[in-house]
Amino acid sequence: MTDATSTQFAPQGKQVLVWDIWVRLFHWSLVVSISTAAVTGFVLGAPWIKLHIVSGLLAMALVAARIVWGFLGPTHARFRDFLRPPAAILSHLTGGDTGRHLGHNPAGGLMMLGLMAVVGLLAITGLTGLGGVLRTGPLLSLPYGIGEAGLELHEVLAALLLVMILAHVAAAIFESRRSRENLVRSMVTGTKERRPGDHRGRKVISHPRIALTVIALLAGLTVQVWQRDTGVPERAPVAVLDEIFAEECTACHLAYHPSLLSGAEWQVIMANLDDHFIEDARLDDETNARITEWLIAHDASTAQTRPAHLFANERESPTGSIAETQAWSDLHESLAEETFQHAPVYSKSNCSACHADAETGWFSPFQIKIPKETSK
Amino acid sequence: MKYLLVLPFALLASPAVAQSTSPADLLAQYSAEAGAEASAERGKELFMANHTGGKPDTPSCTTCHTADPKAAGQARTGKPIEPLAPSANPERFTDLKFVEKWFGRNCNSVLGRDCTAAEKADVLAWLASL
Repeated sequence: MTDATSTQFAPQGKQVLVWDIWVRLFHWSLVVSISTAAVTGFVLGAPWIKLHIVSGLLAMALVAARIVWGFLGPTHARFRDFLRPPAAILSHLTGGDTGRHLGHNPAGGLMMLGLMAVVGLLAITGLTGLGGVLRTGPLLSLPYGIGEAGLELHEVLAALLLVMILAHVAAAIFESRRSRENLVRSMVTGTKERRPGDHRGRKVISHPRIALTVIALLAGLTVQVWQRDTGVPERAPVAVLDEIFAEECTACHLAYHPSLLSGAEWQVIMANLDDHFIEDARLDDETNARITEWLIAHDASTAQTRPAHLFANERESPTGSIAETQAWSDLHESLAEETFQHAPVYSKSNCSACHADAETGWFSPFQIKIPKETSK
Repeated sequence: MKYLLVLPFALLASPAVAQSTSPADLLAQYSAEAGAEASAERGKELFMANHTGGKPDTPSCTTCHTADPKAAGQARTGKPIEPLAPSANPERFTDLKFVEKWFGRNCNSVLGRDCTAAEKADVLAWLASL
C-alpha cells in the first residue's frame, strides 16, 4: 500500500502520496454537497427543500465519516497530524514556523476543524428547524420556538460557512504561490513534491477495516434514531373538516383550514360575509353560527404548524386576507406577479394550485409544485 | 316524526340529492309570486346585460357564469362553476334553499339589490328553455 507512510523513504524531489483516496473523495464530495445545499438554500428556496435536505445530510454524513478517518486514517488524514495547540498556530501565522508542512499546516488544520464543526452545526440546526417548524424528521417533537431559533442560527451558520470557504480557497491559492506548488491539484492527485526541511508528520498506518466498521455502526444507529420519532406530531391541525363548512365554503374556493387564522379573524370574516373579498357570500344565521363555532374551535391557537404561527394575528385590522400579509409576500417573493393571474393559478387565493396539501393546513414545502402556465 | 328530524340535515348536507323542487315547479312559484307570465327573452337580457348597481368586479351574471349557461363557468377564485341550464346540469333548480341562497348573493353582487320574483322567473324561464 502506497500511503503517506512511504514519505520517509522517498528521495527528495520525488512525488509522494499525501492525501489518500478517502480524504480526496471526502473533500470533493463535500464540495459538491455543500455547493448543492448552498444553491438550494440561498437561491432556489422552498420548492427545492428536498434536495437541500439530502445534500445537507450527505455533508453531515461525510463529515462524520471524516472524523472517524481522522482517528483511523493514514498519517496526514489524522487529527493529530494537523490539530496543533494555539501557540503553534500563532507561531505559524506570525512566521515563526519554518519549514513546509506536507499535510495541513497549523492554520489549515484549524480551518479543517472549523469547517467540520460548522457543517455539523448546520446539520443539527437544520434538523432542529425541520422538526420544530416543519414538524418532520427525527426532531419533530421540538417546540416551535426552538425550531424557529434553529432555523435562524442555521442561516447565520450558512453565511459563516460561505465566508470560511472563501478564506479556505484564498488560503489554498496564497499558500500555493508561497510554496510554488499547486495545492488544488494535490487534492486531486493526492501527491506532493517532497522537499528538504518538510514537516513530514509522525507516520502511522491506517485501519480501513476498523474505520469502515465504525462508520457502518454509526450509520445503523442513525437510521434507528431517525425512525424513532415519526407519525403524527402533537397539536397537528384538525384533520377532518366539518361537513357544512366544507360544503358551503368550497362552493367558491378551497377549504381554507381553520388553523390559518385566529379565532378573532374568523369572527370578523364570518360577520362580514355580505362583503366577502368583494363578493356577497351570505349564509343563513344557523349555518353561519355552526361554521363560525367550528372555525374558532380549530383556529391557529390549536395547531403547531408554520402557517398557524406565520399568518394568524399578523394584521392590526384583521381582514383575513393571508395574501396581504408580509409573511406571505416574503414567502412568495421569488414568484412573478403574473403567475398568480393566469391559468391554472388564477388568483393568490388559490393556494392548492401549487400547495397539494393546502386544505390540510400544513403547507409542507415537500408538497409544493408550481404548475406550468396553461393557455386558457 | 323521526323522519322530520332527519330531513333538514339531509337537505343541508347534500343539496344535489335533495329534490325539494323542480325547474317547472319553481318557475310556477316565482311567476305566481310575481303575478305575471315569465319571459325567457327578458330573462336572457337581464342575464347578459352589464349592470352598474352591484360590485364593480361582477358587473354581469356572465362574469362568472359565461354567456353560455350550458357551459361551465368559473368563479373569480379559479374554481369551476357547474353549468346553469338544467338541460346541461339536471341538479340545477331542484333545491329551493340553494337557489334562494345564490339568487340572494349574486343579485346583490351584480345588481346591488335583491332580484324580484318576476326577474327570477324570467331568468329561470330562459335557462330552462335552453
